[in-house]
Amino acid sequence: MAAKGPLKLKFKAKAKGSKGGSNSTSSSSSSVSSKFEVIKDWTNWSLKKAKVATHYGLIPLIIIIGMNSDPKPDLFQLLSPF
Amino acid sequence: MADLLPPLTAAQVDDKTKVDEKVDYSNLPSPVPYEELHREAFMSLKADNFEGLRFDFTKALNQKFSLSHSVMMGPTEVPSQSAETIKIPTAHYEFGANYFEPKLMLIGRVMTDGRLNARLKADLTDKLIVKANAQITNEPHLSHAMFNFDYMGSDYRAQLQLGNSALIGATYIQSVTNRLSLGGEVFWAGVPRKSGIGYAARYESDKMVATAQVASTGAVVMNYVQKISEKVSLATDFMFNYFSRDVTASVGYDYILRQSRVRGKIDSNGVASALVEERLSMGLNFLLSAELDHKKKDYKFGFGLTVG
Repeated sequence: MAAKGPLKLKFKAKAKGSKGGSNSTSSSSSSVSSKFEVIKDWTNWSLKKAKVATHYGLIPLIIIIGMNSDPKPDLFQLLSPF
Repeated sequence: MADLLPPLTAAQVDDKTKVDEKVDYSNLPSPVPYEELHREAFMSLKADNFEGLRFDFTKALNQKFSLSHSVMMGPTEVPSQSAETIKIPTAHYEFGANYFEPKLMLIGRVMTDGRLNARLKADLTDKLIVKANAQITNEPHLSHAMFNFDYMGSDYRAQLQLGNSALIGATYIQSVTNRLSLGGEVFWAGVPRKSGIGYAARYESDKMVATAQVASTGAVVMNYVQKISEKVSLATDFMFNYFSRDVTASVGYDYILRQSRVRGKIDSNGVASALVEERLSMGLNFLLSAELDHKKKDYKFGFGLTVG
């Protein structure tokens, strides 16, 4: 745990340094590339969240849709083995 | 698990013209989807052989919604460096939920180790169908997903496929006459930077189906299925890879009897296999599977029961 502290700071410094570097060169030509970076990071983040949401939520979603279809089945029928 | 799913394919076209009638080229039937080109041949030649015990229980809660419980125990193969196959006995339980509606189909299966296998098929409009297939695991970078958009025209079908790790593919198949359909596919994979193109042809009549497929990955597949009667069909297949010079030929049969279905094949690699599905009573099916690989000395036997 103690070792994680300096590692975290190093990471933050590195990230800040690289961001600062890209910002310093972001004149007219690189503003477009940094926009792409932002879009890429945003799509990666949203895909990761979508993957976790699907992993946990798909089977409950199918069960909810199925239990609300008609004729509406009982909760007992869902849980009993026969 | 293929037995649990109703067939996704449309029924074979009924209107077969007699030999002396003129072919109406403006009113050709819709062709078979490109990925089901080899459908009849693969029913007998690529049967679902398994090893170990398999027990599937499907419980229908109402007409559209059902739950499935599936237990599989047996050795599973682990890829190894040496020529010997290494088998590790495993057992797993899989829980699944299925929802079927005319316009929407959702299937989800989750295993005890956390792997999720999901399929979706939705009819967005009369002619446009979207399908998605995903396998999600807890380990990073091992999940994959694929989305297909199918457009069905009057006598053609076009499909666009998008997969994760930058995989894009497109297929197109067109009915040229009542019996002949031709198609092609193109794909581009981002991760191993590969792209490929392929062509396929399918000729069918009410007694036989012949298909051929060539791809730039070097694979050539040709197969022929003859329907001898309502109960019996025979199939033969020839696969050839012109880069790696691998050749495989196989012959198989499919007997659909009143209480059972027997499928078997024999291969030029020295593999003989058979699968028997016997209907013991309404909703209760007994499965027996055997696969003998004489070249690698690998013998697999399996038995199972499917309820519901």
